[in-house]
Amino acid sequence: MRIRLLQYLAAFAVTMALAPAALAAVKPWATLTPTQKEALSPLAGQWDTLPELQQHRLLGVAKKYPKLTPEQKERVHKRLEAWSKLTPEQRDRAREKYKAFKKVPPDTREQVKEMVRQQEAEKAASGVPAAPAPH
Amino acid sequence: MNRQFRPEAVKQMLNRSLSQLDEPTLAKLREARSQALECYQAQHAMNPALAWISAHTGWHSSSHHHKRHFWIAAVLLVACLITGIAYWQQATDNDTSDVDIEILTDDMPIHVYVDQ
Repeated sequence: MRIRLLQYLAAFAVTMALAPAALAAVKPWATLTPTQKEALSPLAGQWDTLPELQQHRLLGVAKKYPKLTPEQKERVHKRLEAWSKLTPEQRDRAREKYKAFKKVPPDTREQVKEMVRQQEAEKAASGVPAAPAPH
Repeated sequence: MNRQFRPEAVKQMLNRSLSQLDEPTLAKLREARSQALECYQAQHAMNPALAWISAHTGWHSSSHHHKRHFWIAAVLLVACLITGIAYWQQATDNDTSDVDIEILTDDMPIHVYVDQ
């Protein structure tokens, strides 16, 4: 009984240790589910060249994609390619900035958003691209 | 000098001696036994984890060889668990999907948050 109990515990521990490693492995585009492919369709051409960690994080986005509204889905598709072209450091910094911006009081946040909208409108009117693709 | 050592005879002698013990000596012996039992039970009550291990693994009755195997397996188990927890911790840290989806669907353009 003692040995059997230990065998079960050891098997459980090994599974726990190996499962995340298996999850983190590179997933070729062909192995993705139809839902994942639909969510990540703008990246179809470059998916297989993306690093493991980036794939893992984008699959997290794909998991939440079906719950979005059609408008949000369209926005995700428009931004996904630019987002994936950022360096890992730029994405990390963007996440930090976004989190910090969420902590700003709502009225101040609205003022900033309004200011950004005006700048975007002015840029669009003057022929400057509204959202330059970051590199 | 030529008498042969016979265990049976020794046993009989001890039994006879026991039956000849006076009542105060017997009382003292009973008291000592009772105290020893109380002490044993108190030790087990103080360490429920060891009691559980003994009850579920039969560890208390294992030989030295089996005890060594038990400890090796226990150390491996703990090492695997620590590794597993570290991996899961890393996987959790790597899960940025909540923030990512918010940025990707936010009404502010991405470049606002990106250092150019």
